[in-house]
Amino acid sequence: MVSRFDQQKTKHQLFHVSLSLATILICMAYMQYRRNWAHLGSFWDSLVVPIVFLGELLKVVLARFYGKVEDGVLTAKQRQKKNSYFTPRELLGGFTLQFLCTLLYAFICIILGAPVLGNYEQTFVLALLMTLLTVSPTVFLLGGGGALQVCFCEKPDFVTKCEDTALNLFKYNALGGILGAWAGSVVAPLDWGRDWQAYPIPNVIGALLGSALGNIYACTHVLYATARVYMTKKRT
Amino acid sequence: MEQHKSWLVYTIGMLTAFLCGAVLFLIGFFPASYSVAEKESTVPEGRPTALLGMELTPPPPAYDSFVLLLVDALRDDFPDATSMPVAYSRACEKLKLHVDIPTVTMPRLKSITTGTLSNFIDIALNVGHTEQMQDSFLHRLKQQNRVVSFAGDHTWVKLFPSEFTRQVENHDSFYVNDFYEGDRNVTKTLETELERSDWSLLILHYLGLDHIGHVEGNASPRVPLKLKEMDEVVKKILDHKSFPNVLLMLTGDHGMADGGGHGGNTPAETLVPLYLYYNNCSKTPSASKRYNQIDLAPTLSVLLSVEIPTLSIGCLIPEMLQSLSLEHQLYAYFYNAHHLLNKARVKFGHEIVHRSDYYTWYQNATLLHKKLLRPLREGDGGGASQVYYQNAKLNYMRVAREISDLLSESLVKFDYGFIAVGLALTTSTSLHIVISVLYLDLTEQLQLDGLKVGQLWLSVIAAVVLNYTSHALDIIMTSSTLYSILLLVPISIAVYLTIDVAQALLKIALPPLYTRRLKISIPLPLPLLACYAIRTLTLGSSSFIEFEYNTWYYLGNTLILLTAFRTLRWRITKTNVELNGRHLYTIASTCLWQMRKVLVVLMLLTLMRYIHRLQAIRSTVVIFSMLLLWARLHRHSQLPQSLASGAALFMVYCFRGLNGQVLFFDVPSHMAAKLMVPTLVIFWCCLALVLMLGYRAALPQAHSFGKVPPTGALLQLLQTNLTSSLLLAALLQRVHNILLLPVLLVALQQTYKLCDVYGTSARKFSVRLVHVYKIIMTIFLARMFFFYQGNSNSLSTIDLTPGYIGQTNYNPSIVAIFVTLNTYSADIHAFLYLVVHTLRSDLRSVGIMQLHPPYSIAADSLIAPLYAALIMLPAAFYLCLLVGFRYHLFIYSVFSPKVLYDCYTVLVFYLVFLVTSLYFKLFKHDA
Repeated sequence: MVSRFDQQKTKHQLFHVSLSLATILICMAYMQYRRNWAHLGSFWDSLVVPIVFLGELLKVVLARFYGKVEDGVLTAKQRQKKNSYFTPRELLGGFTLQFLCTLLYAFICIILGAPVLGNYEQTFVLALLMTLLTVSPTVFLLGGGGALQVCFCEKPDFVTKCEDTALNLFKYNALGGILGAWAGSVVAPLDWGRDWQAYPIPNVIGALLGSALGNIYACTHVLYATARVYMTKKRT
Repeated sequence: MEQHKSWLVYTIGMLTAFLCGAVLFLIGFFPASYSVAEKESTVPEGRPTALLGMELTPPPPAYDSFVLLLVDALRDDFPDATSMPVAYSRACEKLKLHVDIPTVTMPRLKSITTGTLSNFIDIALNVGHTEQMQDSFLHRLKQQNRVVSFAGDHTWVKLFPSEFTRQVENHDSFYVNDFYEGDRNVTKTLETELERSDWSLLILHYLGLDHIGHVEGNASPRVPLKLKEMDEVVKKILDHKSFPNVLLMLTGDHGMADGGGHGGNTPAETLVPLYLYYNNCSKTPSASKRYNQIDLAPTLSVLLSVEIPTLSIGCLIPEMLQSLSLEHQLYAYFYNAHHLLNKARVKFGHEIVHRSDYYTWYQNATLLHKKLLRPLREGDGGGASQVYYQNAKLNYMRVAREISDLLSESLVKFDYGFIAVGLALTTSTSLHIVISVLYLDLTEQLQLDGLKVGQLWLSVIAAVVLNYTSHALDIIMTSSTLYSILLLVPISIAVYLTIDVAQALLKIALPPLYTRRLKISIPLPLPLLACYAIRTLTLGSSSFIEFEYNTWYYLGNTLILLTAFRTLRWRITKTNVELNGRHLYTIASTCLWQMRKVLVVLMLLTLMRYIHRLQAIRSTVVIFSMLLLWARLHRHSQLPQSLASGAALFMVYCFRGLNGQVLFFDVPSHMAAKLMVPTLVIFWCCLALVLMLGYRAALPQAHSFGKVPPTGALLQLLQTNLTSSLLLAALLQRVHNILLLPVLLVALQQTYKLCDVYGTSARKFSVRLVHVYKIIMTIFLARMFFFYQGNSNSLSTIDLTPGYIGQTNYNPSIVAIFVTLNTYSADIHAFLYLVVHTLRSDLRSVGIMQLHPPYSIAADSLIAPLYAALIMLPAAFYLCLLVGFRYHLFIYSVFSPKVLYDCYTVLVFYLVFLVTSLYFKLFKHDA
């Protein structure tokens, strides 16, 4: 008997990756539609942050949808965690955690070279985007306390199988976004004189492209595992 | 237990060999840096009026008026019968001019007007600003009160601010989107000048073609339109009624590469046309001759009847002299050959010149010239005279061409022999020390750190063969036999080290059977290697070199942030497991609070980027800086030493106050000048006291032999060195830069603590891992603080003020020492602090006991060679890059100052390392 092919999990993973890539494609199409890059540094004039926010929400809804199937097999800790998701304490904790992470990202941007006494809106937009790509999905999925536990524990007991799948995919998204934003600074010293070299445009685009690459890598991983199972099944 | 082995001698040897290779490379790469500067007094002025006893008369101007029509970026294949029909069909002569690198406008204008080439010194010293010319044929025309009109590029007016009688300039010459406006103004000026008749020379410089190329490329549809416009300009000049005695020259200052730019050395960029138009010409369709752009200046000078510029090394263009009589042509050839021969005498010496072939040609030519003078003046045009004339002309031209080529080569040519030797030496030393540090087993097997007699003899023999072959093939040319013999030493060392490196690489790549693969004896953390590799690879871009400080700020802060967050995560996870998952918020807050010092360091590093903006509160900043610095020094000093340090810092503040740089008592200026010297004298006395107290505490005393612990002697000496260096730097630094000294110490200390904690949190603990982290962090912090001081990769940002503090007369050695101490204070202090920290510290504070090998042992067995390797390897890589980029547009303005900085950094580290190694040798038993 070969290993059982988890069709449900694979569907979840592929849907998840597709949603991520679709979000980034919509952001790129929107930027192309605007025909200039200056709006990326503006909080109220740009739709990139709302698009990314909606994309993350959709991924969490997807995890919830696939999680309904296993409602009957939850352990006691998992059921308790699920029931306390919408309590005011959890909501406040989640919001506080995201706010603190945004401040932390703004601090990191200033440490790495963003202007200290200016460009606050640009720094805030970049920090908010980084928070949405890295911390917000986990907070939306597990709440504030759950997010902290997941970051600093090996594998908490209250995490369900579907949530574990989503968390693994969130990891690729976060890592790709961070590396992409960091690498986006490479164009700043060049003397090409393009208008998209101004801060924070390369970092925002770098974060989006980085998360796209992370998702592509995750998708390759999933397809490779699927192909291997299929080849094993065919050989027997 | 690893056997302790000192690497100091080996590291000194590698550094010495590296510096020797760097010097050879610089000699080969910058030939102008050792050529003797020419002085005008050594070249006789004025035109010659005698030839072997016979009197000569300089000829009058050949034409009433001259028009130089300069079309920027006019490529050789642009004018043809289709694109410029009038210019092409009515040209009397169609010549080509070869343009030298760099193919940009300003050096080309210098070549056109003076007949000389630009070398590194000429361009590097004019980086960022255009220095006005001192001599050209325009200056000569002004001396004769001749009228010169100009219209076009603003660069001309910057080069010749007062040589034009009338000038109309484009003020925005670099506005490349202007295709038409500037050129229309030039054409309007041309129409105005054509109605006048008083000018001798009219210069028109059209920029539209160049701008079209930059923006749209050489295949733009606007290029034919622009060429058509230029053709109409030529037609306007030729059809004017005053054309009967005008010489019109149509040329370009440089070409245009495929793609529209310029600056490199492709044929499209280095070949421009020279079309000549004058009256009564034969229009013979002769083959297109090729000359140098520098030949235009002496030829124009002769035609204009002015002296040839002193700097000129160009020849004459025979096709431009057809309108002169035979006598005047011979005079022109004689004058130019005479001028070049004088320059050759100054350059190469009288003996070499007299023994050369071209001197014989010159003598033959002058003899023939003398014979011809009487028949030419009497109007005898016989066959014999024609033969004599042709012979004299050919000899004169050969003399001029030969000397011009020799002078050009000495100005511009890269000495590839020296470059090859220097590059081989620097590369082999860098690879050698890196392999020795990384593969300790291999070092012992192959005895990389020792001297092998057989291999040495083999290297010497190979070096002799190589040296002889190179000299025989003229790859390497030295001015004397002694230099040839001296060159054997670097070649031998290079061959020896290359053999070692080849053996080591073979061992690494092909492990022997039944033996374990060689293990790297030092852990290589991936983030550190990645940041270091990124920094090294960015050396290939001129923009990254110009803004190198941004690279160091970015990567250095990234490393600190990465290490801090990984440590934070490890701490939270570990504590969370211990407390069984409860109170996670409290645990995270507590761990974050424990990391507050690292966050403060990061904020300090960010603040240091704007240290020059603290001028308004500089008095407060200086007081705070000195108190903080004294507190740091006080921690590791005895009481008398602390008092002396405090007094020295107080004297520094008084010195600044007397200079008016900080708030101080209101002292009259004459009293301040009087008090300056005693203040400095007291400072030096305090510094000497600090040194004396430190050395006395370190040296063993007869009466207290049993009391002073001998293990602390070396540490005491190095600490004293660091203290004295910091006090001296406080005197030399700018007022707002004094804050950098204590901040550097705080940053280094907190970073080392972070590395200790991070090292203990790694899965496989290793003392070497902690050392590697500290070494690379030290290098990054040192470079960051180097740029915080206001330094850059440009020679213009070197601060020369410290060299003259307290000096009553000019002493080059003291100026050099002080400027070096000030410029490289961050590198010096960081390295000294690293060594002192390694000797003093242990890992007991983070819970590691019973270390084997002892922590401080690494001070000379790991830190010194690895630090040297990490400094030498990027410099060697950069030298290789420099050879690849030697024809780059910015080779002299961006890349060359950087290589001087890199080699000097290695030299400074070498000197500091020598002093430190001396102490290690003296007190080896302690370490």
